[in-house]
Amino acid sequence: MPTGLDKLQHIVVLMMENRSFDHMLGSLKAADNRIDGVTDQLNNPDTTGALVKPQPLAQFQGQLDPDPDHHFPAVDLQIFGGSKAPDRQPDMQGFVKSYFNQRGDVAHSQKIMYYFKQADLPVLTTLALEFAVFNRWFASIPGPTICNRAFAHYGTSFGRVDMSPFDVIEPIKSIYTRLINSNPKRTAKVYYYDTTSSTMEVVNLLQNQPELFGTHQQFLSDCDKGLLPDYCFLEPNYNDHETDSGEQVANDQHPDHDVQAGELFIAEVYMRIKRNPKLWASTALLIVYDEHGGIYDHVVPPACPPDNFTASANNTGTGMEFKFDRLGVRVPAILVSPWIPKNTVENRVFDHASIPGTVTKFFLGDFAARSPREVNADVFIEPQASPRADRNLLSLDTMRTDCPEFDV
Amino acid sequence: MALIHVPRPSPKAMNPNRPVSSLLLTQVEHLQHAERRLPLRYRTEIYTHAIKTEAEAAAYIDQVTKAIHEAHADAAGRRAQRPKPKGGRKTRGAAERPKRKLRKKVSTPRKKKTPHKK
Repeated sequence: MPTGLDKLQHIVVLMMENRSFDHMLGSLKAADNRIDGVTDQLNNPDTTGALVKPQPLAQFQGQLDPDPDHHFPAVDLQIFGGSKAPDRQPDMQGFVKSYFNQRGDVAHSQKIMYYFKQADLPVLTTLALEFAVFNRWFASIPGPTICNRAFAHYGTSFGRVDMSPFDVIEPIKSIYTRLINSNPKRTAKVYYYDTTSSTMEVVNLLQNQPELFGTHQQFLSDCDKGLLPDYCFLEPNYNDHETDSGEQVANDQHPDHDVQAGELFIAEVYMRIKRNPKLWASTALLIVYDEHGGIYDHVVPPACPPDNFTASANNTGTGMEFKFDRLGVRVPAILVSPWIPKNTVENRVFDHASIPGTVTKFFLGDFAARSPREVNADVFIEPQASPRADRNLLSLDTMRTDCPEFDV
Repeated sequence: MALIHVPRPSPKAMNPNRPVSSLLLTQVEHLQHAERRLPLRYRTEIYTHAIKTEAEAAAYIDQVTKAIHEAHADAAGRRAQRPKPKGGRKTRGAAERPKRKLRKKVSTPRKKKTPHKK
């Protein structure tokens, strides 16, 4: 049995906003050929028919304005290139066309293909190369934020493909409720940045169970004091605002927020865990993005077993119903732990339903009331007793002492 | 391993007057949904349709989030202060429940109605 798994007591998930895998980590193909990033063969047609290649010209801010469309119909265009045929196949050829629809500017629409150079993102790219990077982590739905984040909390969006408030349908419960109601009792928390940024899970969690929430300052303090719950979910700062302690720049990386502010935030979370030796040895940190934000990625999202819900043609806005049987666009995902071998590249398919799926399986074992999507989602940490424990990413017998440090 | 430098965001990154994004407008809409379920005294007087910038959205998000926490804390405080019923509210299992004394049923024969004398 891997020692890291024996020691594991905390799972921390940090979910950032709206960036695709190729956009953030595509440059790493040049550093490690196993990472499925950007190559010279990739392209997308613009509205004149010219082929646009991905280029390492992404900027931290000011480039993706207006915010690229990532509602269901736009993502359908991005994935299927505009085809509505019954036998259509996804080809990832509609990103430039989709962005053109917003400003009608051919030159501007090509910026949706831009990606960051490795040196631009020292935090995210270092963590990807030092720990485990996922080649196949997809958003749960080819759609926007709220329904995708719902999958991270509940393992389903209860039939929603949009930004509307959703009702939790029994018997499914949030991962937090499952944990705090378990016997023996487990602990769980959502740390939003502060009350001015708040949470994106307002209607069900904040409204009905505000005691589940803490702030980023409390997270930092809980790390120092060794009081981190068994499972916690971190939310970045979603808006620019002033506080008594000064200016708080949005660090969620949602276009057009500054990407470097997000880098700093990720580094701060990582370093705070790392600086407490007991916590560092007993924590796995997953850094993942909720969806691609309309930005180019080249990997076709795979089909998946359907959920128990169907979104009507009216709700999808495409003229076609959706049975939750295809994943969304690929997003960056990195698992961090000193028990993971350096430079691990994971090729199994995951989506956000893997988050409650993994946490439930690891802390609670069997749990019946789960969505079909969650039941079918792969887990990124196998419990000790699992017959599949041999494929665990936390596979080292000795804890690493060569892990990177950031100056935050 | 050498310490890796993390570049700080440009001072120009901060722009509270940035037009509010559809994500923040959604968050405002969800908070408004939650606000409508709060008792009147906790509600803000902010007209959300007038929100145009991030700073305005942030101000509303802050007030409603605090109000939700305050309303729940007050409700919890009131529940704690409520006088407990005598003997507590312990619910005991059926096995522990003291048996009620069974009253001996005494059947008293009903008096026969005597017909009114005319």
